[in-house]
Amino acid sequence: MNAAYLRTAAIAVLDVALLLVLSPLFEGVLRKLKAALHSRIGPPVVQPFVDTLKLLGKDDLLTVHSRAYAVTPALALASVLVLGTMVPIGGVPPLGFAGDVVGIIYVAGVGAVLLILTAFASGSPYAAVGGSREMMALLSVEPVVAVTLVVGAMKAGTLSAGGISAWNASHGPTISMTLAGLALFLAVQAQAGKLPFDIPEADQEIMGGPLVEQSGPRLALFRWAMWVRQLVFTLLLVELFFPWPRSGVFLLDLVSALAKAMLVLVLVAVVDVVNPRLKVEQAMGYYLRVAFSSLAALAFAVVGM
Amino acid sequence: MITFRLLEVAAAFLVLGAATAFFTRRRRKVCGWVSVAAMGGAAVLMIAVAVRAFAGAADAEVSVLPIASLRSALSVRVDALSALFLCVSGPVAWMTTLYSVEYMSRYTKDSVAKYFPVLLLLFFSIAGTVVTTDLFWFLVFWEVMTLTSFFLVIYERENRESHRAGLKYFIWNQGAALGMVAAALVLWRHAGSFGFAAIRDALGALQVSNPLLAHTVLFLFFAGFATKAGLLPFWNWLPDAYAAAPSSATAAFGGTMSKLGVYGLLRVFLHLLPLGSFTTSWGVVIACVGLASLFIGTLAALQQDDTKRLMSYHAIGQVGYMFLGIGAGLALLRTNPLLGTMGLVAGLFHMVNNCFYKSCLFLGAGAVEFRTGGRSLAAMSGGLGGVMSATMACSLIASLAIAGVPPLNGFASKWLMYVTGILGGEVSFLLPVAALVAMFISLVTLASFLKYLGGAFLGAATEVKGIREVPMTMLAPQVVLATLCIAAGLLPIVPLRLVHQAVVGLPSAAGLPALSALVGPGPNLALVKDGVVLATWAPMPVALVLLVLGAAAFFGLQRAGGAATRTVPVWAGGEEEEPALMRYRADSLYRPFKDAFHGMYPHVPPLQLSVPVFVRRTLDLDRWLFRPIARGTADAARGVSRTHVGIPQVYLLWIIVGAVAVIMTILLVSGGAP
Repeated sequence: MNAAYLRTAAIAVLDVALLLVLSPLFEGVLRKLKAALHSRIGPPVVQPFVDTLKLLGKDDLLTVHSRAYAVTPALALASVLVLGTMVPIGGVPPLGFAGDVVGIIYVAGVGAVLLILTAFASGSPYAAVGGSREMMALLSVEPVVAVTLVVGAMKAGTLSAGGISAWNASHGPTISMTLAGLALFLAVQAQAGKLPFDIPEADQEIMGGPLVEQSGPRLALFRWAMWVRQLVFTLLLVELFFPWPRSGVFLLDLVSALAKAMLVLVLVAVVDVVNPRLKVEQAMGYYLRVAFSSLAALAFAVVGM
Repeated sequence: MITFRLLEVAAAFLVLGAATAFFTRRRRKVCGWVSVAAMGGAAVLMIAVAVRAFAGAADAEVSVLPIASLRSALSVRVDALSALFLCVSGPVAWMTTLYSVEYMSRYTKDSVAKYFPVLLLLFFSIAGTVVTTDLFWFLVFWEVMTLTSFFLVIYERENRESHRAGLKYFIWNQGAALGMVAAALVLWRHAGSFGFAAIRDALGALQVSNPLLAHTVLFLFFAGFATKAGLLPFWNWLPDAYAAAPSSATAAFGGTMSKLGVYGLLRVFLHLLPLGSFTTSWGVVIACVGLASLFIGTLAALQQDDTKRLMSYHAIGQVGYMFLGIGAGLALLRTNPLLGTMGLVAGLFHMVNNCFYKSCLFLGAGAVEFRTGGRSLAAMSGGLGGVMSATMACSLIASLAIAGVPPLNGFASKWLMYVTGILGGEVSFLLPVAALVAMFISLVTLASFLKYLGGAFLGAATEVKGIREVPMTMLAPQVVLATLCIAAGLLPIVPLRLVHQAVVGLPSAAGLPALSALVGPGPNLALVKDGVVLATWAPMPVALVLLVLGAAAFFGLQRAGGAATRTVPVWAGGEEEEPALMRYRADSLYRPFKDAFHGMYPHVPPLQLSVPVFVRRTLDLDRWLFRPIARGTADAARGVSRTHVGIPQVYLLWIIVGAVAVIMTILLVSGGAP
């Protein structure tokens, strides 16, 4: 029993460390790729690390003073890391005993709540617009994520994320799971905050939206949280809906999961490069259609396909 | 017998407290503190009764005040369901009374004699409703509850709005209650008594002999309870009445009174109605109405600008969650007892949670109104959090709880509901869809409460000069309720045990699976079947990991560089603008989303009865009786007054004319003979 506990704790620590280190690295690779598509040289791959390190030492400019306001960036980063430990990486979610897919959907919301609260609290009108858009983005994307996870839960007969992953790995592709996976892939674009769905941040328009009044270490942590978030959602996609091949060896599965996540993120970056930003209404309409289409996956799941 | 004695003392506390409060009405604070003391005593006794009932002390039914002609008596028995409602509404009632002491100083023109005694009588009737096992007395207490709450709604004498709202409230609830009286009379005719046990037998027989009548009776009860709870087709009165009453009374309505709709529902459908096909079909109806209610009620809430109206619409949405859970549970109870029990437990657990956060939210809105005098979010300048930080903290916790943010209590009950829905997919396609709709609506709830927090509390504190935190007696109730939200969220197994005991204690729900079959032995919730974990929620580890990682991120990253902090004004694109000019108002939030759902909002035109003209004329006594008499009298008086002009000659003339007239009359009467 003790060995099992130790193993879970070790995997949790490993996952947290991997997410913290790899998410800026992946972002760096994506920037390089985007630059290549733009025919630019682009920043070095480690640029996100360098930016973060520099920001951590910069002055912290605050518009309001309150103890709760001071800790929101740290809590936002912590909440996506908790989310990361609830999602299987290499087939094993270390915190899987604590939360199932419903927990994943709601813990994913915690980070967004903290960001929106920070935006409203900062007192900037740009941040308020950004917070409002962030909420609308959540309202349009979250139903898609929920539908796909419910499809997975119904197919596997369990709500546990690890259980769904294992079931899918052993049963091979099915129509409903593939459809659900495609829908979740479309949702990842918005969850990662990439074009054409970077509406809440919209740098050229509302100057970073919720983050407009964040600077120094606060900005660094919020950005880091965003990078972790995009990696976690990609891992959720590949581990639950495209878990093959699963070798059963943890480290091997871990590497293959990360490689697949990288592949998905490359696709996301390509879509980002070739698309202009949508308006909020257009994005909502798009995801409404995706959500209703993904109900087809639910229908297939009900009839057992 | 001990239970009955305790309840007697509690009732004496409340009634004598009401009388004492009435006699001390000239001194507002004394009147308030008398009420707090009386309610406190009663609440402690109610909890004691509940503890006895949960511990399994089987007190026999006690009957007093027999009415021979009706074959009814005030019978009292406290089962686990009654105990659950007693131990939740007692403390909530006490907290709202404590809050009222200071809060009522807002109303300088109105006497507190109209408030505190009535409030105590309201709590008395609520306690009476949940402990009696006689349908006649149930309805008597129910009517007293409607009447006392009506007087609380129309508390402000000079506020026409509140009088209109009160009238609407009274008509809707009285109409619904009359339906319940009719249903009770039908059952009484068949059962020969108002006792629950006899009625259960009669309703069972009626299901077979006359299904249509049985359905009608059940519909009338359902309509009565749905009206009190504010469910969709019967919700019209609720936002007006909740907004009109003083905030402390609104908290009492939302935290205790409206929940009796849920109590009545369980009492009728799981106690008076024997388990059968009726349970299943009515479960489907209840679940559908609940789903519609949570969808439309919550989307309508997003549109609201007035803080209390916003929360009132959420009350409609939240009660939809409860009815959805209970309805799904009733529908599944016969075919799949495990999921059925989960649905019932989820609905009732959500009710308990809702009592805590809903009353805390109303108290918070009241605190804002107490200090700023405003309820319109668009007109608020924000930034109250800088000066009312404790109130903001409580409102923040309650807002996140109602939106189902883990690890607070709202999430625990919603989790149970979603698990029921998703795992119910093998029974019906509609259950997962209902769960998905409920998940989406929980996000809308989040949006709506972020708007409330943003509009009232968050932002730069530039326009809040002279505003202070509310007094301790108003703060303490909010802190207690917010703490309960956190505690029930971190240790959901404790309230769940009580809730499960309350459900399985009902006659039609006997023999359902034990709680450990549903969510494991605790403290973590885990639904395990055949050794496979189907669903799991462990709030403690999640909260612990979140805190540890948060602290690590704060000290290890955010503050590790030792960055200096500086205070800067809000950046406005280089312009120097007044904060008031560049504020993003709360009503601008989520505009595109609100517009997208614009067609969804229920708009019920005010009820207009058209009565034939002649009936109205006949009933209009003014028109053909009083007004002609009054006009005739006035004309006659004017004629008489015209004769008195003040000229002696005219008076002399009148005397002569009068004398002649008198003589002529005498001559005429006597027939000429002297």
